Amino acid sequence: MKLVRMLVLTAGVVLAVSGAVPLLKRILADSKPSVQLNVKNAQPREVEEVTQNAILRDYTLAWQGIGTALANNTLQPLNENFSGFALDRLVQRVKDQKQNGLSTRLIDRGHKVEAVFYSPDGSAVELKDTASIETQVLDGGTVIHSDQAQIQYYAVMTGAEDRWKVRVLESSAR
Amino acid sequence: MRKLIFIGLIVALCWFAADCAHAADLNLPKDAVAGQPLSIGTSGTGTLYLIGPGQVIKREFKSGGNIEIKGEELRSAGRWIAIARGDVRQSQIFWVKPGKPENLNFLARPSRVPVARPNVITGVAFIFDKYQNLILDPTPVNFNLAVGGTGSSKTVTSRDGIAWTNSASAPKAGAAQFVASVGGTQVRRVVQQVAADPCNLRMHVAGRANNNVVIETDPIRDCSGNPVPDGTIVSFIQTDRSGRSTVDSRIKKGIARAELPVSDNATITVAAGVVLGNELHVGGKQ
Repeated sequence: MKLVRMLVLTAGVVLAVSGAVPLLKRILADSKPSVQLNVKNAQPREVEEVTQNAILRDYTLAWQGIGTALANNTLQPLNENFSGFALDRLVQRVKDQKQNGLSTRLIDRGHKVEAVFYSPDGSAVELKDTASIETQVLDGGTVIHSDQAQIQYYAVMTGAEDRWKVRVLESSAR
Repeated sequence: MRKLIFIGLIVALCWFAADCAHAADLNLPKDAVAGQPLSIGTSGTGTLYLIGPGQVIKREFKSGGNIEIKGEELRSAGRWIAIARGDVRQSQIFWVKPGKPENLNFLARPSRVPVARPNVITGVAFIFDKYQNLILDPTPVNFNLAVGGTGSSKTVTSRDGIAWTNSASAPKAGAAQFVASVGGTQVRRVVQQVAADPCNLRMHVAGRANNNVVIETDPIRDCSGNPVPDGTIVSFIQTDRSGRSTVDSRIKKGIARAELPVSDNATITVAAGVVLGNELHVGGKQ
């Protein structure tokens, strides 16, 4: 009798964990990634404190937007945080994913970002980002690829109407 | 014991062989370039997904053979994931490099600048390939700033996809052509170089009209001899016993003029921005 009780309890715990894990993963995927920004080496202009805070906020939002857009195949999070070539590219990726029944889950484990260029007129900044990301590609609900890697990204952000937007985002094997 | 070791070795060998065979199922090139065709070796039957930074390519494959991806299909540089589904279930990461420099985004600031100022014009060039991939490898970019046939040229090697320069404005006013070029690509911006503050601002009495005295400046130029643009405000200030009156006049055809009420003893001064001109005493015992 005791054994049966234990078995039922164990099954209950397993069921609860199996339900909670995907839920937790989803919550984590939608939450803001951790971004550390270093502006000490920015050239040729020094990054002002207000600009630094704005870039940190908006770059973080941009990555949150990528995560949401690629996981749910929606465009709204991209329009808010991207412009120019980066927006065109990500929009096309979401459209292609949708057309092929795919989605991508990014489990973002953090970004170490360095500002490498800040234009003399203060209108553009280039960031070098070492991102730790787990990428899962899903076909319907099935994971068909999963990898975890440190990826180097180069991002160019420009000032838009009320925020900084990512205009170029490119990964590199360098 | 020997038999056991022998069996263990056989198992390990089979495992290794199976692993090698499996790895060979998806054969990806190591030097893919955006805009150039790509050939991927496969075996078995199934579907291949190529998931790139800005696109997804899907191909069905049968009985092995190569999958050919056209140059115009492979547009995004960066990290790609190749996933094979079917007889073989495998995925691999591969990298696509940007192509040759073919596009420049050139920001020239400011669009209007006074002449003869040091390090006042800046140019920033972002270097892209045909498909707007940022070229991160060092690339020489030539910046040329010229007005009226004379100018300066500088070559700057890009760093992380960006090359920038700053330059003094020329002593001569006019529309300066600021050109950034890389390979066969040129982008041109116009920087309007305008006269700086007036220099040697002088006025004289040009005559009388009705009950007024007409004051007129000499042609107004900056210290390099460039005419100060029409429309610039020049202030004439008359001080006499009755008080002080100011007339703001715009430069028209290079000179500014104003009519001031006749006074028996007045002092008139002239100014443009922060620059003061000569002083005139009119009326009475001039």
